Amino acid sequence: MITFEKVSKRYPDGTVAVDELDLHCETGKVTVLVGTSGSGKTTTMRMINRMVDPTAGRILLDGEDIARRDPVRLRRGMGYVIQQAGLFPHRTVVDNIATVLVLLGARRRAARLQALELMDRVGLDRSMAKRYPYQLSGGQQQRVGVARALASDPPVLLMDEPFSAVDPVVRADLQNELLRLQADLAKTIVFVTHDIDEAIRVGDRVAVFRTGGQLVQVDTPDRLLAAPADDFVAGFLGADRGIRRLAFATTAGLALRTPTVAVLGASAADVLAAAAQAEDRWVLVVDADRRPQGWLQADRLASETQVEKDLVQPLGHVFTPGSDSLRTALDASALSPDGRAAAVDGEGRLLGVASGSDIATAIAADLRQLERGESARHRPGR
Amino acid sequence: MDWGWVSDHLDLVGHYTGRNAYLGLIAVAFGFLVSLPLGLLCARYRWLYAPISALATALYAIPSLAFFVVLLDFTGLQDRTIIIPLTLYTLSVLVPAVVDGLTNVPEHVRQAATAMGFGPLRRLLQVELPLSIPVLIAGLRVATVSSISLVSVGSLLGDSFGGLGYFFTRGYQIDYPTEIWTGVIAVVVLALAADLVLVAVGRLLTPWVRRSPRTVIRRRTARAQARAA
Repeated sequence: MITFEKVSKRYPDGTVAVDELDLHCETGKVTVLVGTSGSGKTTTMRMINRMVDPTAGRILLDGEDIARRDPVRLRRGMGYVIQQAGLFPHRTVVDNIATVLVLLGARRRAARLQALELMDRVGLDRSMAKRYPYQLSGGQQQRVGVARALASDPPVLLMDEPFSAVDPVVRADLQNELLRLQADLAKTIVFVTHDIDEAIRVGDRVAVFRTGGQLVQVDTPDRLLAAPADDFVAGFLGADRGIRRLAFATTAGLALRTPTVAVLGASAADVLAAAAQAEDRWVLVVDADRRPQGWLQADRLASETQVEKDLVQPLGHVFTPGSDSLRTALDASALSPDGRAAAVDGEGRLLGVASGSDIATAIAADLRQLERGESARHRPGR
Repeated sequence: MDWGWVSDHLDLVGHYTGRNAYLGLIAVAFGFLVSLPLGLLCARYRWLYAPISALATALYAIPSLAFFVVLLDFTGLQDRTIIIPLTLYTLSVLVPAVVDGLTNVPEHVRQAATAMGFGPLRRLLQVELPLSIPVLIAGLRVATVSSISLVSVGSLLGDSFGGLGYFFTRGYQIDYPTEIWTGVIAVVVLALAADLVLVAVGRLLTPWVRRSPRTVIRRRTARAQARAA
């Protein structure tokens, strides 16, 4: 646990970088510091490893005031990842990763062996071990940066805009990779970014900073999206926050209905009759294993003898109740020609369908649950 | 140009080439030893840089012959009378090289080093200085070539103090162009050889520097052609 107690950083010229900050960064969780430039988020992070010392207040690491710790030793116990990776250009990939191990007194051979294992862990091919940083892509360099920070297995990881210099596709990969690693390692991560979407994606808790070094709100991503503390936070979150929040809402309680189903190759007349009886204008076409194939307009069957694949309109996509979010379900509904989203089990077999209004009901129920402060929320779709 | 004279006097040419190399290179070595701490100070305390580089430039502006003559009164007719001015001349190139080399270290690399727990001295020795090597080598190349060529002025003090300059002064006195040309060519060859050695050392020390993209493309094309054939 990292605790900021009334921490301020005031420069001699009067600039206030951080203003009376109180903040807890929970052990084993990702705390994201997000804000506009000049909001003091990077300064806040750098105070944790004493790259910057506060002018007032104190910072506790597991209850101990870090001002009493030797900065160099303190830093060796904290992983650090920086924008552009900050790799040493003159050292090979494996030696970059082994850096902190060697600083901590490991023999070079042992450190290199451990570095190779870390390369596996962050998804880097061992054949790159002897390369120099300039021979790697931006995304690969960033992976080396993460491996280097993890090398000595420090309990705390500080990440300063680690993924902002790579393109969006690579960034999404790196974010997923980080979440996958974090699921295994449960480090106490402090992550600085100016990208609110990134904050919401990787953070267990998100701290929003305003220019002048003021902390405006700290909350879980879904509560932040549902209930921003003020206009500044709402503006920072941007458009569509209602829909983006649904990524954190579960489909577990979503009521499913049974649609009229047509198996490929079935008699058109039978399906038409069933659709007429159920008053369904669209029928859901499935294969022999009940895997949804697409939607079919019932009227079109009048001139057909059999349900053929080429009559079917594509589904867009399906969702799996429980593991997918309401956002995925809503998206499936929005892409469906008849407005109903198809739900499937883990093997892709049809469970039922949910209409747009069924999903809206589930959204409202989820919001009520959030307002009651029920904390047993998981993060579907991560 | 009388090549017969040259082949008859190879041992003499060898002797003066050795002297020239010794006097020129030792000055660069001392110059580097002095420039390193000065450059470190200037990089650390930026306000020192302007006065120190002004002083180095002022020293460089003193004509070499005048410098030698003034020093004669203090040091007598010895190697150091030549070596001291040449050493001071290298500062105007080497101090800026040290400063530029250190300031060229990318800020994110310096920060990463600090954040990983490098103390100031370790950071200097293991990160900042190694990353300065390309700039340091560039400075050393200029200093070495100019120092080797400046040695020849010393021959005005005496035959054994000017390296290959011995041949120009003597050639001029006895009006024998072959000796003048021998001296000039030997100085140029010596300077080029020293330069090549420095380039090679630089390459060996910096396998991590991205070489010109053109060579990479050439190599790739060659490989592609080899495959096609």
